[in-house]
Amino acid sequence: MAVSKRQKRQAAEAQKRKTRNLYIAATAFAVVILAVVGLVIFKVAGGDSKPKPAAASNLAPTSVVDAVSNWSTDTLNAVGTSGALTVPKAISGPPLKQNGKPLVVYIGAEYCPFCAAERWAMVAALARFGKWHNLGATHSSTSDVYPDTATFSFHGADYASSYVAFQGKETASNVPQNGAYAPLDTLTPEQEALIRTYDAAPYVSSADAGSIPFIDFANQFLVAGASYDPQVLQGMSMSEIAAQLENPKSDVAHAIGGTTNALTAAICGTTNQEPASVCTQPAVQAAAKRIGG
Amino acid sequence: MLAACGLGISVYLTIVHYSTSVTLACTSSGVVNCEKVTTSPESRFLGVPVPLFGLAFFVVMLLANLPAAWRRGEPWIRIGRLAVAAGGVLFVLYLVYAELFRIDAICLWCSAVHVITGLLFGLVCFGTALGEPEAQAA
Repeated sequence: MAVSKRQKRQAAEAQKRKTRNLYIAATAFAVVILAVVGLVIFKVAGGDSKPKPAAASNLAPTSVVDAVSNWSTDTLNAVGTSGALTVPKAISGPPLKQNGKPLVVYIGAEYCPFCAAERWAMVAALARFGKWHNLGATHSSTSDVYPDTATFSFHGADYASSYVAFQGKETASNVPQNGAYAPLDTLTPEQEALIRTYDAAPYVSSADAGSIPFIDFANQFLVAGASYDPQVLQGMSMSEIAAQLENPKSDVAHAIGGTTNALTAAICGTTNQEPASVCTQPAVQAAAKRIGG
Repeated sequence: MLAACGLGISVYLTIVHYSTSVTLACTSSGVVNCEKVTTSPESRFLGVPVPLFGLAFFVVMLLANLPAAWRRGEPWIRIGRLAVAAGGVLFVLYLVYAELFRIDAICLWCSAVHVITGLLFGLVCFGTALGEPEAQAA
């Protein structure tokens, strides 16, 4: 009987220990959960609850706009298309037009270093078909990969051409705010429909769906992501980048020029190869073969 | 199973860390940005890539959570398993802090590993509490 009483006492003590250990385990687990929730709440609650719209970008220097807009065809032909790591992808969608002209739609953001890279080629390519006004100057996010990549901004910019129409939207600035970036341009319902349709499978991989820069060339070609590595622009101001454009041996001219020719070929594909002075250039025709346009 | 899932994701993140191919695109929000997280200075701890810590952690946890390991009563196995799980979850808290306050971006793959680590910690805590051997007879 004494043995039985001792066994009962030991069993009761073991049960007490087990119950105590369960409380300790539950407390430890709860502390971890609360710590994570606390970090998230502290992050989200920090600063203003509503991000303020960011101020407009500064205007791009006239000398830089001129250098990009008047890039010699000899140099562009010399650099060819190999600088473009990827080229616009041919798609087949309903005609996308504005005022009877094929419409090119760009959607990006000022914080994005890949948008920063692609804008150089976009400005150069579209300059071959028309004229820019009020192009902005900005740089990509200071805290992202390829920080402070100097570039243009399409926020507030105007473009006029008798061959093609252009809509450019920078959805966010490069100013961090509440864990995101301050909002800039708002997409129209039509632009949202475009990105929902074409910046998704099967046009882009599921992993890259919704990525920027996104460029739709009249629903006949699209670009999702940069066409070259922004590394080539690192550490340079806009003026320094522009100064390298006429040197066909420079990495800058090679990358931006190759991409410019590829984007030009896509635009030519929407304008029935007009103007001929642009679309019959050897580098543009070589690019057209690459994109299947 | 959790340890196996965590190991799989850690292997993927290790490959991504050492891979030379990158996606030349941003996410539209700028917050979910795996590349920014996996290439940040915080992606290395004491000079060692963080995914390697995850890899080692999940290999140990996979072995320590095998049924045979749970059946053994040695205290060093129970305490060691609990200590490794606790160390893992403390490291995860540091990584969550780094993502939210220093990198300003989150990586969904990393977040999946963090959740698995937290769940593993909970299961190990409760399993250890419930599985304490009965007291020996005097």
